[in-house]
Amino acid sequence: MNPRPDPNQLTAPDDGIARGGVLLDVKNVSLSFGGVKAITDISLDVLKGEIRAIIGPNGAGKTSMLNVINGFYTPQEGAIIFRGRERRSMKPHEAVGQGIARTFQNVALFKGMSTLDNIMAGRSVMMKRNIGWQMLWHGPALREEIEHREKVEEIIDFLEIQHIRRTPVGKLPYGLQKRVELGRALAMEPTLLLLDEPMAGMNLEEKEDMSRFIIDVNQQRGTTIALIEHDMGVVMDLSDRVVVLDYGKKIADGPPDEVKNNQDVIDAYLGVPH
Amino acid sequence: MFYRTAGQFKTSYQADHALFPVRQDAFLLGVILIFAFVIFPLTASEFTFRALLIPVLIYSLAALGLNILTGYAGQLSLGTGAFMGVGAYACYKLITIFPEMNIVVAIAMSGFFSAAIGVLFGLPSLRIKGFYLAIATLAAQFFLVWLFQKWAWLYNYNASGAIQVPNIEMFGITVAGPRATAITQYYFVLCVVCVITFFAINITRGRIGRMWKAVRDMDIAAELVGINLMRSKLMAFFVSSYVVGIAGALFVFLWRGAAEANLFDIPLSFRVLFIAIIGGLGSILGNFLGAILIVALPVIIGSVPQAFGIPLDSAMVEHLNIMIIGALIIAFLIIEPHGLARFWAMIREKFILWPFPH
Repeated sequence: MNPRPDPNQLTAPDDGIARGGVLLDVKNVSLSFGGVKAITDISLDVLKGEIRAIIGPNGAGKTSMLNVINGFYTPQEGAIIFRGRERRSMKPHEAVGQGIARTFQNVALFKGMSTLDNIMAGRSVMMKRNIGWQMLWHGPALREEIEHREKVEEIIDFLEIQHIRRTPVGKLPYGLQKRVELGRALAMEPTLLLLDEPMAGMNLEEKEDMSRFIIDVNQQRGTTIALIEHDMGVVMDLSDRVVVLDYGKKIADGPPDEVKNNQDVIDAYLGVPH
Repeated sequence: MFYRTAGQFKTSYQADHALFPVRQDAFLLGVILIFAFVIFPLTASEFTFRALLIPVLIYSLAALGLNILTGYAGQLSLGTGAFMGVGAYACYKLITIFPEMNIVVAIAMSGFFSAAIGVLFGLPSLRIKGFYLAIATLAAQFFLVWLFQKWAWLYNYNASGAIQVPNIEMFGITVAGPRATAITQYYFVLCVVCVITFFAINITRGRIGRMWKAVRDMDIAAELVGINLMRSKLMAFFVSSYVVGIAGALFVFLWRGAAEANLFDIPLSFRVLFIAIIGGLGSILGNFLGAILIVALPVIIGSVPQAFGIPLDSAMVEHLNIMIIGALIIAFLIIEPHGLARFWAMIREKFILWPFPH
């Protein structure tokens, strides 16, 4: 329906931070559930425009880290500075308002809704017409709906999911569901996109597609991406910098090549008695 | 054949967002509306109006209200009967305190009272879900019915403890009370139901409907796309209780003519819930199909054997009703758990493809 979107038009909202400046700064964060320490004194930063990978063995605290960043958990200690503003605790929907979007490890789509509605739901925050206009439908509410529909169609074209526009997402195969979930996150036009294992359970071809989408999002839209992934090949190829967690502690941080040869990282993955 | 959609292309998003993207749907609705507005009034008897058409419409509206809450926003409620009661009593008080108030205004305002009460009893939904929430709304059911009985101010200290609908005129025509004719009442209810259904369709297909469905399908993910759970849930309670309250006001003012507190007790809540479930949760059409099945079928069962001269005493008819309706409910839930609306969707799909199997 639409011509392929012009990449130059699709840019993340400008927030005064230059490319390469610190977008997110996590300082000395600790998180525990009762006696279980999920994250111990971790600091990490995400620079604007980069692809940042968080890796580590199972139970290392990677997902907890993402949950802290987008406000799902409140850390007991430490500070999170996003776009130059510090915050201690915030509700997830407030994090969205600041420009943080995410996808989940196990797909968290709205199963009863179509692909189109799922992605449109990602733009709920941006739609402002109140219930009075919604009741009447014709007029402002419809204009707003169409305006956002155009944006959503650009994303649908970008992710090549035109053929499943009307399909309830519960009926889609897993790989496509992951793609729709990415679409929903993109619809929120985030400054920072958090991807929790975007390639889990995919075959090689689907992984290649997904990698291509992640790079395109990063380069065409200028979206900063922080991702968790277990496929080392993907991580090393995609990311600019990698942080490695193990047992809730940071054991390495740096460019992929450096991390790959770090003895602590090798130990963590191969297993050395602690 | 009749439902061929081939050749109906959409060239703009506006056209794609039309109420009826498929032309035949609009035609079908037109036919139904002609029946509702012209043919039924010309042919129906007083009995048909009072026993069939008016109650079907009112129950559809009540189920529509419940469906917004349970089917769209995913919050189970067992307090529908009581919320209908709030609407009815609020309308009664408004009419008796301000006798010159237009009945349409009174009914529209009484919805706000039940909406406020609905939001109040919806507060637990911020903490609890599913069956636990259903029990919390059950508290509303018992408390409100108790209040209708004990708070004599609500029924103007009538010795009978019941509310009696006075004769109410609108533009010189009596629309409610003992002197009103069934046909005026039918038109009145039909117009209200049409308007509210139109609004409900628009709300549920737009931004707010998507928010509700997102909360229903996965509340955590809904929160992470920026939906404020508290606001959407309470808004669902507000809108739902508003519609239910209007249905309650119509129930007493345009149909029953009088009501006691126990009319709004739990059997009414269950009746409306059955209509919503059998019709299809998360569907607007389903409420009407469900109401036709639950409300109209007993009347048909009761009158058809008599028409054929088969003598049945009223107790027998009553028992037959319960048995047949019960069996039908079970059969429908096994054959099509998503309700009659889904049943229709499948039939429609077949019509579109006909004569090809796939």
